[in-house]
Parts: sequence; structure tokens; C-alpha cells
Amino acid sequence: MTDSFFLRVESRVERLAEIAEFVETAARAAGLNDEQVYDVQMAVDEACTNVIEHAYHGDPHGSLELTCATRGKEWVITIRDFGARFDPQKVKMPKTGDPLSKRRIGGLGIFFMHKLMDRVTYDFSEGAGNCVTMIKKLGK
Amino acid sequence: MDQQIWIIAPQGRVDAASAPGLEAELKQRIAAGATRIVVDFSATRYISSNGLRVLLVALKATQCRDGALKLCALAPRLREILALAGFDRLFEIFDTRAQAEQSFEK
Repeated sequence: MTDSFFLRVESRVERLAEIAEFVETAARAAGLNDEQVYDVQMAVDEACTNVIEHAYHGDPHGSLELTCATRGKEWVITIRDFGARFDPQKVKMPKTGDPLSKRRIGGLGIFFMHKLMDRVTYDFSEGAGNCVTMIKKLGK
Repeated sequence: MDQQIWIIAPQGRVDAASAPGLEAELKQRIAAGATRIVVDFSATRYISSNGLRVLLVALKATQCRDGALKLCALAPRLREILALAGFDRLFEIFDTRAQAEQSFEK
């Protein structure tokens, strides 16, 4: 385990740019390349947007805690919140081949998280809140 | 029908914080009669799913009015992200603003 990076911010969309900078700093320190940095920034942005919009329902007084570190050949980021329980099973994935007339609007955020990261897992416990863990393999 | 081509060029990040502003601008233009819109991404570093949703809604609105919303000047990774979501099959995408504008003349 190398140095870990930690950030706590309140649940406001205005903080997403700061979160992206934090992720870039941590990911570059771990040796991720430009494309990987873009991918993890986007996956984290989507995950944090979900927390702000769905776990906290837009309430700006909640908090998000981001921790990232390298474990072996993987870069791991966890995003914790203390809002409403989030059940990813309830989110329908978009059908990316659908024509415009049929194309639904939602579900894209989670779709990108799974596409851009190698592994995404969700955890919830009373007291410890929601925790999303996302992993990017290094050296690809 | 408004034959003028409207250019919208989002700056920097189009995320959950800035997408509502882009949405308001597009809605306002479309409500004012704009049916030919080009979104120029040359100054856009990043677009999240919130931004993509705004584009999809605006595309549908322009097509309902026999118009189109076209995209241009996307950075390579942004273009790949759009393709990942299947947006390359929904939108006409051009390398340059000039090409996007000319495509309306045909």
C-alpha cells in the first residue's frame, strides 16, 4: 500500500471540479496515464453526482469522503456518503444501440462507471452509509 | 423556420454544476425558433452524463422541428466517450465547426 489520499467535501455540485483535481493528483501520483486519469476522473464525477443527486437529494449539507490508494497492481478509490441508501440494482442501464425515438434519458452515469473502471462494488451499512469502491488496474 | 445556424461553445467542464446552464441556453434558443444548432466542443475539456442528457433532449427538440443539433471539434477522448454511450449513432459529429456549418447547406 502506497500513500493514500483523502478528501472530504460537502454534497454540492459546485465541488465536483475540486473533486476532479483531487482525483487527478492522486491518480498521477499512482502512475496512471492520461487516458486512465480521464477515465477515473469521469467515473468518480459520475459516482459523486449520483451521491449528491440521489443519496442526498440535492441537500448541500451532506458529506462525501473520498479515499484513494494503490494496492498491488490496482488503483482503488472509495466514495462514502451518509445519505439515503442507494440501490444500484434499481437503475436501468441505457440501451446504447437504441434509436433516438426509443432512447431513454437515465442510467448513463452508472453505465460510465462500469465501462471506465475495471470493477465497481457497492456497500451499505447503517451508520457507515453508502460506500462505492472502484478499481482501475495499473499498467494496462 | 429560422435558417440561421446557432453556435454554442461550452467552456471547460460540462458537469452536473454547469449542465443546467447549457440546458437553459439551448432551451432558450430553441424556444426562440432556432432549429439549426452546432455545439462546438473545442473549448470543452470534459462532459459528464448530465451534459450528454442535455444534448439528447436538445437533439430531440430540434428534430421535432425538422432541424438538427450537430456536434464538432471534440477532443479524441471526448469523442470516444460519446461513442461508448452510442451517441455517435444519434448525432452527426464533425471535426471542425466549418464542416458542421457547411453540412446544413446540403
